[in-house]
Amino acid sequence: MRINVRFAGAGGQGVILASVLLAKGYGLGEDYNIAQTQSYGPEARGGACKAEVVVSDEEIDYMKVDTADVFIALNQVGYDKYIDEVSKEGLVLINSTLVESDDPNHYRIPATEIAEEMGKPFVVNIVILGALTRLLPKVHAPAIQEEIKKNFAASIAGINLDAFETGYREMSRLLDERNETQPAMKLVKKTA
Amino acid sequence: MERDSNTKTQVVLQGNEACAKGAVYAGCRFFAGYPITPSTEIIEMLSGEMQKAGGAFIQMEDEIGSACAIIGARWGGSKAMTATSGPGYTLMQEAIGFAAVTETPIVIVNVQRGGPSTGQPTLSSQQDIYQARYGSHGDYGIIVLAPSSVQEMYDFTVKAFDLAEQFRGPVILLADEVVGHMREKIEIFSGDRRVSSPKKKYAISPSTDFFKGANTLVEGQLHDEMGRRIGHMADKSGAFIEKITRKIEDNVDMIADVTTYCMEDADVAIVAWGSVARPSLNAVKKARGIKDDRILPKFRVVRDLVKRGVRETMHTDYSHLKVGLIKINTVWPFPEELLQQAAENVDTVIVPEMNIGKYCREIQRALPDKKVVPLPKCGGNIHTPKELLDKILEEVGVDE
Repeated sequence: MRINVRFAGAGGQGVILASVLLAKGYGLGEDYNIAQTQSYGPEARGGACKAEVVVSDEEIDYMKVDTADVFIALNQVGYDKYIDEVSKEGLVLINSTLVESDDPNHYRIPATEIAEEMGKPFVVNIVILGALTRLLPKVHAPAIQEEIKKNFAASIAGINLDAFETGYREMSRLLDERNETQPAMKLVKKTA
Repeated sequence: MERDSNTKTQVVLQGNEACAKGAVYAGCRFFAGYPITPSTEIIEMLSGEMQKAGGAFIQMEDEIGSACAIIGARWGGSKAMTATSGPGYTLMQEAIGFAAVTETPIVIVNVQRGGPSTGQPTLSSQQDIYQARYGSHGDYGIIVLAPSSVQEMYDFTVKAFDLAEQFRGPVILLADEVVGHMREKIEIFSGDRRVSSPKKKYAISPSTDFFKGANTLVEGQLHDEMGRRIGHMADKSGAFIEKITRKIEDNVDMIADVTTYCMEDADVAIVAWGSVARPSLNAVKKARGIKDDRILPKFRVVRDLVKRGVRETMHTDYSHLKVGLIKINTVWPFPEELLQQAAENVDTVIVPEMNIGKYCREIQRALPDKKVVPLPKCGGNIHTPKELLDKILEEVGVDE
């Protein structure tokens, strides 16, 4: 089993951090190997940013993602750039505040809107991560929450934990609306 | 401090962070550096870890100062390291020569990015392969290790310190952006490493322990065993140069480290070093299990393959396209003998590199009877398995 996950967005949206936390969510459990990579420009904010996580129960040789099984778009530019590089049965999660698409199969979460309502726009990546955790199989959510506590100063760890839970809850609600109860992605996959 | 070096912990770390952890574990207690993408995380992490370990960390004014500072620190008794990327590594060349001629054991990490000059700060390359060996002026021997995973970033850093002490000279850890910035699950040791002093030290100077307080003359000019200048004496100078080169080159069997995958029956080998070995391994696995009607019965293995029919998934079935991987972990001194042994039965050798095609020349020199096919890639992206696989198919006579 190998799952190729790709995040795309703008520098400053927390794309890389979201991917790192997801990698730790899988990696810190016993069962999976992970490889997390990223590519970004020299700018601190605003440039295109991409992060990739490979999750596998075997040793990971190729550490990058060519065709994504799971694609998360935080902004329109990232969506347009990589939407064609998603596998046929792939799972797509978009930040519906900033990404427009009429594909009914996409999972949507208005992450930027939720983050702004919380009064901290910078938690957008954690909202998305919460939603993603609901969608993916066997992510070790407590490990992610633990990492959030470790990674952030105490003053903002709380708001990030809230954001994580809000994203998770929102996605649960959405799955109910779509009459899907199981995580949308099956673990049995052909070897890449 | 409690010595619990047998405790292994599983952690998710970035390659650069693993390098920093490895350095502290190996006993490094002095770090001087100047931040540069993509090696900055090493400096960032050590700025905290070094103090915790009771060592010293200095952010220097530049890379020249950094390299010189760690040489001085080693004379003062601390194991020392610096980390940089291409532009900084170029500035360090003078100090590397000085460390070689004064036989000072130091570790320098070069997390390669695209060059020349300021080049590509955030993208990867393997362009410094020759600079790592021949960068400083004059003749000298040097050991260069090339990690391809986060675990190897950790392990090879520890190994680099050991080799530096044993062979008394600079050791380069030649990583690249992909390995440096990648995060993986690895095992690290907690506590202090029990370091047993290497049995034999390969140094010219008899006062090998001048780091422990003995009076020693340190000399950048060619010198005799007591540190007295011999630069004006041709015969003695010649012998000195041979010694500092041969202590490395003649002991290549003690240093060389090459890993092979599926080479037992291979007809085609990919020879890779550093991060490119990873997509190469993926391509080998794919080739071994390839289901492809396009394969012509040109290649002798493929004939059987067509007769027998090919299974759909052959992740573990190594019986089809006979391709293997030779991964070179110690790129310098060049592991000529090990490479020749590993590649003995192959016809073709493919050499993927993230540069204009450099190390392939060395490989062609070592394997004059084989067809060596360079597969260079510039621009900053690592080879994809598909690119490698296409090359393999091309070489075995499959036309798309």
